[in-house]
Amino acid sequence: MLALEMYRSVPRTIIGKAAGGRIPLMLTGVAAPLRLVTLDPPRVRRPGWARLRVRLSGICGSDLGMLSGTTSLYFSAVVSLPFVPGHEVVAELLDDCDDLPAGTRVVVDPVLACAARGVDPCEACERGETNRCSRITVGDLSPACRPGSAHDTGGGWGEQLTAHRSQLHPVPEGLSDEQALLAEPVACAVHTARRAGVRPGDRVLVSGAGAVGLLATLALRELTEAGEIVVVAKHGHQRELALEFGATEVVAPGEALRRIRRATGAFHLEPELASPYLLGGVDVALDAVGSTASLETCLHATRAGGRVVLSGMPAKADLSAAWFRELELVGTYASARADRSFDQALGLVAHDAVARMSKSVAPYPLHRWREALDHAHSAGRLGTVKVAFDPRRTS
Amino acid sequence: MGFLQDTIADVRQVKRGWRWGHRSQVPRSAEPFVPPSSPNVYPNDWSRTPAAAAVRELAQKAALEPLFRSQVRARAEGVDVLDRLTGPVIFAANHASHLDTPLILLSLPDEWRRRTAVAAAADYFFDTWWRAVGSSLLFNTLPIDRRGGSLSTTPGDVLADGWSLVIFPEGTRSRDGWMGSFRLGAAFLAVEHGVPVVPVAHRGTFAAMPRGAGWPGRGRRTLRVRFGDPLVPGEDESVRDFARRVRAGVAQLLDEDATSWYAALRRAASGTTPDPAGPEVAEWRRVWESTQPPEAEPRRAWG
Amino acid sequence: MTRPGFVLEVDDRTPPLLVHEGLGFRLEDFPIGTRVVYPPEPVPAVPDVDEAIRDALHHPVDSEPLPALLKPGMRLTIAFDDLSLPLPPMRAPDIRGRIIEQVLELAARAGVDDVELVAANALHRRMTAAEIRHIVGERVFRSFWPQGALYNFDAEDRANLAHLGTTEKGEDVEISKRAAESDLLVYVNVNLVAMDGGHKSVGIGLASYRSLRHHHNARTMVHSRSFMDHKHSAMHHSAWRMGAVVKEHVKVFQIETTVDNTVFPKPYEFLMKREWEWSVKDQAAALGMRRGLALMPQKLRHRTFHDLRAAYNLTGINAGEVEAVHHRTLRNVHRQQRVEVDGQSDVLVLGIPYLGPYNVNSRMNPILATCMGLGYYFNSYLGRPVVRQGGVAILYHPLDEGFNTLHHPSYVDFYEEVLAESTDPMVVGEKFEQQFATDPWYIHLYRTSHAYHGVHPFYMWYWAAHGMDHLGDVIWVGGDPKAAGRMGFRTATTLRDALEMASSTVGSSPSITYLHNPPHLLADVR
Repeated sequence: MLALEMYRSVPRTIIGKAAGGRIPLMLTGVAAPLRLVTLDPPRVRRPGWARLRVRLSGICGSDLGMLSGTTSLYFSAVVSLPFVPGHEVVAELLDDCDDLPAGTRVVVDPVLACAARGVDPCEACERGETNRCSRITVGDLSPACRPGSAHDTGGGWGEQLTAHRSQLHPVPEGLSDEQALLAEPVACAVHTARRAGVRPGDRVLVSGAGAVGLLATLALRELTEAGEIVVVAKHGHQRELALEFGATEVVAPGEALRRIRRATGAFHLEPELASPYLLGGVDVALDAVGSTASLETCLHATRAGGRVVLSGMPAKADLSAAWFRELELVGTYASARADRSFDQALGLVAHDAVARMSKSVAPYPLHRWREALDHAHSAGRLGTVKVAFDPRRTS
Repeated sequence: MGFLQDTIADVRQVKRGWRWGHRSQVPRSAEPFVPPSSPNVYPNDWSRTPAAAAVRELAQKAALEPLFRSQVRARAEGVDVLDRLTGPVIFAANHASHLDTPLILLSLPDEWRRRTAVAAAADYFFDTWWRAVGSSLLFNTLPIDRRGGSLSTTPGDVLADGWSLVIFPEGTRSRDGWMGSFRLGAAFLAVEHGVPVVPVAHRGTFAAMPRGAGWPGRGRRTLRVRFGDPLVPGEDESVRDFARRVRAGVAQLLDEDATSWYAALRRAASGTTPDPAGPEVAEWRRVWESTQPPEAEPRRAWG
Repeated sequence: MTRPGFVLEVDDRTPPLLVHEGLGFRLEDFPIGTRVVYPPEPVPAVPDVDEAIRDALHHPVDSEPLPALLKPGMRLTIAFDDLSLPLPPMRAPDIRGRIIEQVLELAARAGVDDVELVAANALHRRMTAAEIRHIVGERVFRSFWPQGALYNFDAEDRANLAHLGTTEKGEDVEISKRAAESDLLVYVNVNLVAMDGGHKSVGIGLASYRSLRHHHNARTMVHSRSFMDHKHSAMHHSAWRMGAVVKEHVKVFQIETTVDNTVFPKPYEFLMKREWEWSVKDQAAALGMRRGLALMPQKLRHRTFHDLRAAYNLTGINAGEVEAVHHRTLRNVHRQQRVEVDGQSDVLVLGIPYLGPYNVNSRMNPILATCMGLGYYFNSYLGRPVVRQGGVAILYHPLDEGFNTLHHPSYVDFYEEVLAESTDPMVVGEKFEQQFATDPWYIHLYRTSHAYHGVHPFYMWYWAAHGMDHLGDVIWVGGDPKAAGRMGFRTATTLRDALEMASSTVGSSPSITYLHNPPHLLADVR
């Protein structure tokens, strides 16, 4: 089977870290530790597991981070190189899997928790908080938080992968593959909305209008009683989308702090040699970018005692505000099974805005991966929300 | 390159808009709001600097004087009055021709000539830069406004600086060789600044080069210039009275030149000095009479 | 001799004409037949300024002489116009300082101890110490500033405001408590344009938002035709009504001054000369300056212009009862600025210079530029506007100076947030004015920093309301398309393009009038 494999390459990672920011071409060229290879298809060894044929697999911001070497080395302990990336997957079953017959179209919850690993449920899994599973390094599988970082399950960027029944969610009729592809990110967004702890009427800032930001906005609007949702959008076309997804207001990154100050009547302070911040601000801020600037905007625009949700893979930032303003810093990773996030997500992807957005999903065959990655790097600017691989394609 | 191109465009626009190389124009609708053009007077303070004086000395001695003497015969009388004077004076002379100025200047002793400026009509001698520079360099002219306006450098300033002034109180050249009425300017300056007036009379310049002629007539005419005793304004003398006295002084000198010193003195005493304005007869007779040559000097064989 | 203002008709003999555009100017070839309105030349100045001040204080109009009003033990307040007047700032000594010195000399002689000086800056920004010192002079500054007896008016200091009542139309009159409770309030004004002075001095200069909102709104401004003509200005009618209320509570001794229009000092006098009278030197200066400015970075250009100090000459001073004084003052203003213009035209051309009342030592942001063009210059008329109803205004300004966040913090939000929503003065006023006016942060900055009040950008927009209401189209020549677009206007690179764009509104051969401004002029349209 054909697959894209990420492998260990110190020089490439260093080059990517050093030069990627200036010469983005390198990130999809010499600095990308990725190769198109022919692998043995992953085999099913245990009950409850089944083979899947990938129909579409998205490229997520965290994938790009990993490939360009900007991801924290913190995660090096929970991946097992080499592996096939890709955790946003729409696939069809090649084998029967418990109650699901072969041929069923499914989406995959990427979390490899105790159930998949064949170990006794840990405390978290027992509560259904599968995304917080503490056994992700043990059991039948190699250490990995999700497929697309474990070498023995395969990943979405290959023709086939294996998955445990606990990860599979059948796709209802009437949803396109593209919509279904968005189910995983939407499920994360649903989880994010839950973690945000928005109370009725709360004012929310969503920093970032990429897929994560937009879907979080949708989830916040649909599932919570948030009042005003201000979305920070860098690119012009994101503005329209954000409004469709439920934003009350869309602002440019440079305007964000001022606009929130105005809307909340907060006080604006300008420290020396540091970024300005507010005394007062939104109740909940959501970083959907994962850059230092975005995270600091969130920290600095949140009222004392407010909540900052880390929805993107976070970068380093000055946490003074979290201490000084007693902010609740909340992480949100994937989704928990007990929340039934996927079920909700499969409902939400039927939403008009998501349906429209799914039309812009750009599928690439595997062998054009350099193009695909480059497209994904500049997706925001180009007006695409999601770039994906379709391994069935030949061109 | 943008800057260079813009600069060229700007210069072109100004060149076209303000008609470089042409006379400037006033939009028709703005004409009522443009003040009557104050005569464009080129200041010539520079012409009284030592450097300009040196150039002038050369121009006068090496060019003007030989040229002048080649065209006319000139005789000066009574220059000795200047020996008795020191500071600046005003030379008040009758005015009949453009030859008057070189005649008077070249008759002066060198040390006086170098410190003497000639009052000249600003509207004629100073309206273009080349005339201003030429006349300043050759004759040490000083612009005065004959309409009574004020100029940046006044004759008073120049007098105060120790320069003597040649003034033609008639204000313009005679039409027929006879003397016209005197304006008050010279007398006013004398009274104001306490400067003596030396009357100067000359004859023959009208015949040699009257109004309208561009060059002295052929045949080396004789010109005569005569300096009179300085006149000092009296304690309570009005400008008008003093002006009258200056004119009488010039008239007496003319009489003296035509007859003799003593006869002229007698006639002056008895108040019968002939009127320098000439007889009231037909114009041709006035011209005829005024162009009679002063009795000729016996021509020397080598003159 | 002072030549009157007049209307030039551009013909084939007309050289290019100077048009100001922010931190620079251009030489524009106007179409033949364009009318250009030139202001009068500087009118004769008062020969002896100190003597004129003395005379005005001792022989006031409809009032006892100032010395007779000064008593020992009284409470005396001297208020004066802030740095928005005159434009550009006056070369030291400022006329206000010279007047205040004489007033204080009289007060000292009369044994008045309780004296306070307050800058009548209303919702304008607080002036810095240096700016105040420039206005009042070093002597006054040294005697009063350190003691805190010379200060900026604070319209948000609730404890120091006095509500004097309401007018017959129910308008609140709330002014500085100190001024209201003084035995005598001396107001020292510089009447640069016809809008200033009169009851606007105390009634607006020392008033709070509560009072100002009654006349500083879109509705009033649309009915102020123009606000340079107080008899036909709804804003002034309101101020006059308030003035009557003030009069009942406090004795005001108004001192109004007028200055001539020598706004550009050496070596920039050519900017005030009529172009066809430019000497070779003037032409060289214009060329040199244009090229020099093109080479300079923006900061340096800003410095070059904002460092200019005008050598104004005093043309008149009147003191005494407010209305009687103002009547005389206006005569002087009109003498210096009024030009008769025959009929309206289809297109009005205006060059917006580097300076307006609200960007002294600051930046001319797009909102201020609009206010300058569609507010001040558009309203510079008596009778009817220079441009016909539905006509087009063509304005020159690059709109590229950005915002000064120290002075104009609320402008940024107004620009980014309010104008993005609507550019209709009525709509933005309805929806946002209250929020901006009561925003604690703006109030904080207004009171402690050097920021214009939060509501001030709205006033700028209201100022332009009459213009926007009257005009069919507004086109900025050389303007930043983004900024102009945000404000609901269009841009063109050249006058020709602008006229082309305007042709859909006013036809292909419109009548054009260009107001050759600055110096300021007041078009009396017949």
